[in-house]
Amino acid sequence: MEKEIFEQGLNLNRRKFLSKLSLGVGSAALGSLLIPDLFKGGSPDEEAIMSALPHFAPKAKRVIYLFQNGAPSQLESFDYKPLLNKNIGQELPDSIRGGQRLTGMTAGQTSFPLVGSYFKFNQYGESRAWISEIFPHTAGVVDDICIIKSMHTEAINHDPALTFFQTGAQVGNRPSMGSWLSYGLGSENSNLPAFCVLLSRGKGNGQGVYSKLWSNGFLEATHQGVQFSNSEDPVLYLKDPKSMSRDERRKMLDQISAMNDLSYKEFNDPEISAKIQQYEMAYRMQTAVPEMTDVSKEPDSIIKMYGPDCLIPGTYAANCLLARKLSESGVRFVQLYHQGWDQHGNLPSEMALQAKDVDQASAALITDLKQRGMLDETLVIWGGEFGRTNYCQGKILEDNYGRDHHPRAFSIWMAGGGVKSGMVYGETDEFGYNISENPVHVHDFQATVMNLMGIDHERMTYKHLGRRYRLTDVSGHVIKDIIA
Amino acid sequence: MISLSSFRSILENTLFVWLGLALILTIGGDNLFLPEWLQVIGRSHPLILHFPIVLLLFGLLFFWIPNLNTKKDLKEFGELSFLLGCNFAGITVLAGLILAQENYEGAALDWHKWAGLAVFGLSTLLYFFRNQSIRFSKSLSAIIAVGVLLAGHWGADLTHGENFLLAPILKEEQETLALNEAEVFRDVVQPILQAKCISCHKEGKIKGELRMDQIDHIKKGGKSGPFVVPGDFDNSLLVTRINLPMEEKEHMPPKNKIQLTDEEKTILMDWVYSGASFDQKLEEIDSQTDLFQLASQKFTTTENYDFNSADPETISELNNFFREVAPVYPGSPALVVSYFGISAFDPSSLDELKAIGEQVVQLNLNKMPLEGVSFGFLSNFPNLRELQANFTNLTSDEISEISKLENLTSLAISGNTIDEKSLESLSKMKSLEKLFLWQTGLSDPQKDLLRNQLPDTKIEFGFDGRGVIYDLNSPTIISEINMFADSTKLEITHPIKTVEIRYTTDGEEPDSTSSSIYNEPIWINKTAEVKARAFAKDWKGSPSSSVLLFRSGNPPKELKLLTQPNPNYFGKGELTLIDQIKGKNNHTSGEWLGFQDEDPEVEITLADGQRPKELTLSLLYHEGAYIFPPTQVEVWISNNGNWEKIVDEVPAQSKDIKPSRFEALNYDMPNKEFNKVKIKMKTIKSLPKWHPGAGSKGWVFIDEISFLD
Repeated sequence: MEKEIFEQGLNLNRRKFLSKLSLGVGSAALGSLLIPDLFKGGSPDEEAIMSALPHFAPKAKRVIYLFQNGAPSQLESFDYKPLLNKNIGQELPDSIRGGQRLTGMTAGQTSFPLVGSYFKFNQYGESRAWISEIFPHTAGVVDDICIIKSMHTEAINHDPALTFFQTGAQVGNRPSMGSWLSYGLGSENSNLPAFCVLLSRGKGNGQGVYSKLWSNGFLEATHQGVQFSNSEDPVLYLKDPKSMSRDERRKMLDQISAMNDLSYKEFNDPEISAKIQQYEMAYRMQTAVPEMTDVSKEPDSIIKMYGPDCLIPGTYAANCLLARKLSESGVRFVQLYHQGWDQHGNLPSEMALQAKDVDQASAALITDLKQRGMLDETLVIWGGEFGRTNYCQGKILEDNYGRDHHPRAFSIWMAGGGVKSGMVYGETDEFGYNISENPVHVHDFQATVMNLMGIDHERMTYKHLGRRYRLTDVSGHVIKDIIA
Repeated sequence: MISLSSFRSILENTLFVWLGLALILTIGGDNLFLPEWLQVIGRSHPLILHFPIVLLLFGLLFFWIPNLNTKKDLKEFGELSFLLGCNFAGITVLAGLILAQENYEGAALDWHKWAGLAVFGLSTLLYFFRNQSIRFSKSLSAIIAVGVLLAGHWGADLTHGENFLLAPILKEEQETLALNEAEVFRDVVQPILQAKCISCHKEGKIKGELRMDQIDHIKKGGKSGPFVVPGDFDNSLLVTRINLPMEEKEHMPPKNKIQLTDEEKTILMDWVYSGASFDQKLEEIDSQTDLFQLASQKFTTTENYDFNSADPETISELNNFFREVAPVYPGSPALVVSYFGISAFDPSSLDELKAIGEQVVQLNLNKMPLEGVSFGFLSNFPNLRELQANFTNLTSDEISEISKLENLTSLAISGNTIDEKSLESLSKMKSLEKLFLWQTGLSDPQKDLLRNQLPDTKIEFGFDGRGVIYDLNSPTIISEINMFADSTKLEITHPIKTVEIRYTTDGEEPDSTSSSIYNEPIWINKTAEVKARAFAKDWKGSPSSSVLLFRSGNPPKELKLLTQPNPNYFGKGELTLIDQIKGKNNHTSGEWLGFQDEDPEVEITLADGQRPKELTLSLLYHEGAYIFPPTQVEVWISNNGNWEKIVDEVPAQSKDIKPSRFEALNYDMPNKEFNKVKIKMKTIKSLPKWHPGAGSKGWVFIDEISFLD
């Protein structure tokens, strides 16, 4: 506090000093050398980049990303490997492992016995894709989705891998994919945030999700993901107190905004203008959110389709339904996380429960978007941060086994939004350990999502601390083969 | 030390040497054989060329100084600079001519060469006739200056590529062609030939007697053979030449020219492979081929519209909090209009869109209350392609207005009731490619009828849930407290309000016929396991949910711990077991006593006159946290020191890992006089084989011991 009083007395603080310093041409040049961000936002190339967005006609207008947090096993879902059942208990050949590093959890293990899925697989749809019996509803929409069996990543532990998927870097502090899209494309509906986050937790062994995953990083604060609460009121503190009328609220906001405006003029701090905008949006959200989240008008068939859990706030099914409603209301990027997919042990029982949590609602989301004519313009993504090993962690029992983390090959699926439907892309070797064709790196995946949204991932950059950043860092190729 | 005048005369003489050599090189041209060391001189051309540019331009300036003849020193200085410039021009020209032998060719080279020679020649001329008329020297100097600039420009084109200098300001507006209009040769192959081949294979410069500037000539081929043979790589010189190693003389394009990219090579080869057709449409090719994949990216799949853009100011005026107006993509004249915010919807705002009526191709009115809105405004949108109006309470009159939209290709009106009249209107919409009619109340025969009438339209009727039977989810049992003195209120809810909830209080599984139906909150007045299930038509009955409620009864006088719990799970010590507070479903809550190394043993002194009929031990089971049922429970009673064992049993043991849960062990007390009770339990000493911690010691957790009268 003393510091603030002192600064006020001097009518000078660092920001003010710098803004005065920058009045002179020479000192401005000096300032820009010392503090590259001093003229942030005004750099002509950035403006040119932004004004050209999207870079071409977008195929998808919105994204719903169903993140399966904890890494669901590809070998019990979409990557059918009968050899593992045949060779159960046999050692993973060194030639296949190829020096792959291990996590701390199996580093001490002397044996790596192969284990195949205890769940049965069947082929479905026109694509004849193999899908395990614990995903019967997903199997029902197989001709609307594109399964990618050849994803690979660089990280081997949850947090870095998750952060890598979401922000393009394994360390934190970079903007999330949703923040990039919010920055690039803005919101369709100015009454709602462009980037919303919904969390749910399954019964399986879980891993944390942290707000850094939906952080705006170095982008302006308005691009941060807005986390919805798991309660009856998805956005907390939105209602006015009982004694306050809407007119009074308006008057109050006008006053606050006038004061904020004054200090913005004085300090030019972009955080202040972000704050003003957030107040205004919150005011509009007071009517927009209840309208949007109201499930009472949903027809009975919707409840049946998503499963009755969709009426219980905070469940995955409820979040899927909410995601559809948000998307329908023009929210650019809806990010779901469902925890509980980390099956180091008890895989058969836990994975069946996890699948039961998500299978029906994920498939319902596809069908629901489709029957409203929205699937063509909405990209739905389902998948975790990496895959799981083809060998058992711990002992193989008659009804129990576990799998460790595996970054070299795993499966995700995408649907709608300009992605080819009824397609299986990429292949792994017969051990399900290495990719044998069409590898898709996390940056390739990100580049493809951006491409579908009409953005050239190499051209949308943001200059921060003297270098230009992009979601895909310095690599990434658009997987053209899966684009319709 | 040579004097300035002799230095000058040497430079004047060398000018003629350069002139002579330049003449030989120019006339001799390709027929000369140049030794390798000369190549080094040739390649210094880009280095030395900077000297003549500066010196000549500097020297030329002096011709423009008024009354130069009167300023002797200045004149001398200017002349010397110009002379030096002429010499450097000569050396540069020579080096350039040598360099030109190294595989450079093309129009740019010719222009550059002759401009350079002209500059050199004219400069020499000007030097020797500098004292003729002022008019002559001035005009010639101006011509030379222009010549220097032009030669420099063409030279830059040679090294940096065509129009290097002006490229940034000469941005070509390239029209993107629609995919369905693109032709393989005209729009994909020819542009590559144009960019990478044609500079040497065209009229006036027909290398290898091959011309690519006309289709007839391409078909004919060149001196060495046919350019393309459909489907035949070996005999198509196009294919063989571009695939030769870089070092080969025949490799095309020549090594110092801009090379083909891998993508371009693939396109050219796939074109030959697919038949080298000159009039095939791109869409006619198999979409799985590389050719199609690579080529199709160059064209837009979005429609090209023939109307003009709307006024940007009008567009921004129409944007507000309840309506977004935006182009389909930047630069497109076509607009998308979306409405958001049901309560903010104002039907009259639809008429405001008239100003951009021609440009609107997509209109999104989902969920807006459109009932009774006059749909005449739709006639403002002659180019509307896509209309979304799901859940908008459309009337048949409104649908009949919609059916008049001739260019509509996609219509989403799910969630609106479609009556016979609307059905008739819809069946006339032959232009529709996609029609979304989920939740519209149409019968199966009506759906079939529509399918027959619109055979080319993809109609989506969606999921109606009929005949699909899924599990209901369990009801939620809400109790204020788990441990009560006399009675407690219990509520049971289910997210679907219309289900029937049935419950039992005796631990039995509820069924859909005989169990009690839940209508209002129920009161429980004894320790009981309440179970509830939900039932509804078209659903399978839910799994049961259950809750264990404890009646605490009356507290005893005193409780003594004969063995001590683990210090980490000590709760409030002895008081924990008789404080009549039910612990939370979490063994670390501080409301539990946890025993591992020692077997729990407690001694209880009853209150005066207390004659309990029942004893309840409140336990926590959680196999995942190594918390198991006790392997043995003994209950002893005593009346003034005579201990008698009344219970010795093995409670039901765990068979697998389940979530953390409450359990109550109930024992009847004998109808006898007694004032003390002793309870002994045994913890599990070796966890069973199925447990991950098989062989380790397990725990017993207990939070309450209660006596019911």
